[in-house]
Amino acid sequence: MDELLDIINSRKSIRRYKTDPVPDAMVDKILEAARWAPTGENYQPWRFVVVRDQETRNRIGDLAKLGSGSRMTAWYCMGHMQERFAGIKDEAKRAEVLRFMYSGEVSEFAKQAPVVIAVIGTLREGSVDVPYDLSAAIENMLLEAHSLGLGGCWVHGPVASTRDARKFKEILGIPTGMGDYKVIAYVSIGWAAEMRKYPRPKKALDELVYWEKFGRKERPPHG
Amino acid sequence: MDSQRYFNQLLYRMEEVFYHELSDCAAWKTELVGTDFIQAQNIKGANAHEVIEACIESIKAAGLAEDIEYSISGRDILLKLTIRGCGLMHKEVLLRKGGIKPYNCPITNMILDQLIEKLGYCTTYVADLEVPEGTGTQPCQVKAAIYATPEKIGAVSDWSKP
Repeated sequence: MDELLDIINSRKSIRRYKTDPVPDAMVDKILEAARWAPTGENYQPWRFVVVRDQETRNRIGDLAKLGSGSRMTAWYCMGHMQERFAGIKDEAKRAEVLRFMYSGEVSEFAKQAPVVIAVIGTLREGSVDVPYDLSAAIENMLLEAHSLGLGGCWVHGPVASTRDARKFKEILGIPTGMGDYKVIAYVSIGWAAEMRKYPRPKKALDELVYWEKFGRKERPPHG
Repeated sequence: MDSQRYFNQLLYRMEEVFYHELSDCAAWKTELVGTDFIQAQNIKGANAHEVIEACIESIKAAGLAEDIEYSISGRDILLKLTIRGCGLMHKEVLLRKGGIKPYNCPITNMILDQLIEKLGYCTTYVADLEVPEGTGTQPCQVKAAIYATPEKIGAVSDWSKP
């Protein structure tokens, strides 16, 4: 189990990729990991659209840039982004990071990632937990990719708004009816071209865990 | 109970559970709420001002709000709306009482929808929906980002300045 925990806590979201192709065998393993995710009542609502085509990835990247940029431009204008990145003390570096964010370039990386996998859920065949099942599948995909030495990123923002989700479906030919398929995110996969700071700051367990009742911080004796 | 109050209560419960499920993302999912009405109004206009004014006229004529004022500033991407006498104010008051910041303004959705549909704006975003505390007698203040073209993304300025 320690080895699995090592994989979990060394995974990072990768947004810069080398152009080297990802072998089909690796993509298949990532999809296989998704297939074995937990799913309510064993409904398995997930479906996957694997995209390697450059033109399609460009369209997804443009949509992502527009989605993130539209929100982050507004957040910057209201001062929220400046607060969020106040920790970057170097003024020029902070300005460049902020520009990278509000321009939407931060989310454009589907263009560079050799593989983009859209994760969608069928609403047609009976299901009770579609978003949760799909989220579990995505986590499996990211962990499998990382274990293979690949980088990946879970990208929800570009399909977060109803209009953008519809545009995303249209790009991939997914039926657009609200009772057909839910698009929850896509996962970009490729060979990492960046080294992320490790470990990323995480809250300590004692900030997150209660024992027996909500709010109880002390671990009671047992056994 | 009048029917408007009843429908406000229904919407309140729907938005309450929707927020519980999706947290702040709920606002992004509800952008089409209200658009069926405005799309049936044959709104016309050659620019943003004409479209917005035509929307306001239709909304007021239908009795959905008593008055709406607007301005466009912030390098042409900041649309400010002041909405008085909105028929959905009771929904917002109930949400506030339930501890949820109101997040879905159908009247704003209508205007943004017509900028997209009639003028081809590439995207819009409701940045801030300020519903006054209390019983809802004061107007709501909305800040929305409106992007005529993709090049407008990143056109930043300080929106706290008048």
